Amino acid sequence: MLKQTIHWIDRRFPLTSFVKHELTEYPTPRNLSYWWNFGFLAGFVLVLQLATGIFLAMHYKADAAMAFDSIQHIMRDVNYGWLLRYLHSTGASAFFVVVYIHMARTLYYGSYRKPRELLWWTGQALLLLLMAISFMGYLLPWGQMSYWGAAVITNLFRATPFIGEQVVVWLRGDYGVGDATLTRFFALHYLFPFIISAAVVIHLIALHKVKSSNPSGINLAAKDNIPFHPYFTIKDMFGLGVYLIVFCFFVFFIPNTFIEAANNVPANPMQTPPHIVPEWYFLPFYAILRAVPDLLGGVVAIALSVMIFAAMPFMDRSHIPGGAHYRPYYRIMFYGFMIDILVLGYVGAQPVTDATVIVGRVASFLYFALFLSLPFVSKAEERMMRKRGLPPHLQTLLDAQHRQHQPRKGGKHA
Amino acid sequence: MRNTLLSALLLALLSGTAGAEETKLDMSSLPDDLAARLRGMDTVVTNCNGCHSLKYIKYRDLVKLGAAPAKVDGWRGDKPLDAPLSAQLSENDARESFGGVVPPDLSLMAAAREGGAHYLYSYLTGYRTDAKGGTVNTVFPETRMPDVLGIAAETDMQKRAEIAEHTKEVTAFLTWAADPHADERRRLGKYVIGYLAVLTMLLYVWKRRIWRRIDSQPPIE
Repeated sequence: MLKQTIHWIDRRFPLTSFVKHELTEYPTPRNLSYWWNFGFLAGFVLVLQLATGIFLAMHYKADAAMAFDSIQHIMRDVNYGWLLRYLHSTGASAFFVVVYIHMARTLYYGSYRKPRELLWWTGQALLLLLMAISFMGYLLPWGQMSYWGAAVITNLFRATPFIGEQVVVWLRGDYGVGDATLTRFFALHYLFPFIISAAVVIHLIALHKVKSSNPSGINLAAKDNIPFHPYFTIKDMFGLGVYLIVFCFFVFFIPNTFIEAANNVPANPMQTPPHIVPEWYFLPFYAILRAVPDLLGGVVAIALSVMIFAAMPFMDRSHIPGGAHYRPYYRIMFYGFMIDILVLGYVGAQPVTDATVIVGRVASFLYFALFLSLPFVSKAEERMMRKRGLPPHLQTLLDAQHRQHQPRKGGKHA
Repeated sequence: MRNTLLSALLLALLSGTAGAEETKLDMSSLPDDLAARLRGMDTVVTNCNGCHSLKYIKYRDLVKLGAAPAKVDGWRGDKPLDAPLSAQLSENDARESFGGVVPPDLSLMAAAREGGAHYLYSYLTGYRTDAKGGTVNTVFPETRMPDVLGIAAETDMQKRAEIAEHTKEVTAFLTWAADPHADERRRLGKYVIGYLAVLTMLLYVWKRRIWRRIDSQPPIE
């Protein structure tokens, strides 16, 4: 019966061939480490955010006079409303944790390099969408931090040349953040997940064209690729289990970790909180914004700090495979960058003092300096490594890759 | 390694200077058992509720918490069981008495300040007599609320300890009021984590079984 049904479908829709091509015969490098689990986890968090978000929207009221109360209605009166809300608010942070690790892995292993530039750039677009979604979602509880966070960030668009004033009003729908801002942020917060889902499909299409990178940094021979299913479906499921234990620990035992105390006070346009702090995932970028004394300069710097990742395929000039794994200088830069981001994150959370301004400026300078010095460092590093002679196992890998590429030059049967 | 150490040192130094200006909160342990909550409830409903509303708490919630229905009936008078605990003082009267400020709603107070219940405890017991003979609050100097517990003038150590105990019970009740489902959440959480732990172990075993088919192959690196 099942066989017949599938056969019936297959004559009308490429079901079996799709499953074969994308799953049961989809070649995946067998040496992937657990750092390769985070893309799947990001997809899982997206689904969880969609599912909880739809149910939250059934009870939430996007109205400046009712929004705060409706959140408390969800937390207190709706059956398991507290669970939906804590899953969603913790999920937002989890999304960034997972995506940042996913990006760090890409940077460490050089997975953005040829031929995966488009894969990396669609990921960059997903990051921007995620940032927009979380920023708009954060306004919805209509607490003090929601309100003032949105006020500060929309105000940044004042730096737009000539039409700054108009752009800010256009974004807010009013002269200040108010009911019009709340309703449009809610509408867009509900719309963007569909755009993000479509962007994820594009990201996956790009992935399935070029296939996964792997720790060795070369395209493995066919015999070293294994089918995605069952090997990586089960590995992803196990990773998901570990992830859910950590996630649920936050949701059930310390769910207020990611909710600012000030956001339990209803929005009050007449009273600015002592210091306005964005959510933790924006802190490093916020520190870069504050490090530049001029508004326009700050906005350019914060935009560049997010967008500069897209330039990685051009800036990394080295041909040594395996990213930081085999490259001593690049490895130092990678860890330096990680420390620099943590310092920036710390500075972003602190009230402005003389000390934080100096540390923030030095760390912001280092942030860009690391990126901009990469073309020269990576070139020099490769020269140095080739002069000294590559380690034997690395040479073997390179030879293997070379052999793989040779036959393709003859015919067009790729 | 040296890099890590240096930045860690730098961070430690910075956090020291940044935190110095903030008032230190009393972090002594606070009760959260039902008895303490119920005693705190008596204090809050019969005293604090005079000026402060608790608009997200209904009289029915107090019964659900464990208050005797007769006692709750006495408190609510002719108001329905589903009425919220609004303040007895009207907003206009409150503005007149407190220099234009309406006493804040207390339902979320335990979650609305950095430090949570510890902030409330430190604040409520933070009144001192200043040099001019007036009272001042060390945690929130701008507060309009008088020293309702009378802790500033109290010199008897026994009495001071009683006031402190009383205050802790108030924080226990307000912590419950800020998140009434917290107990249920933690109870459910234990089962969820337990279930996930077993599931994850099984998945690990399963993963090992599947991967055994190719584990014999030599590693790539």
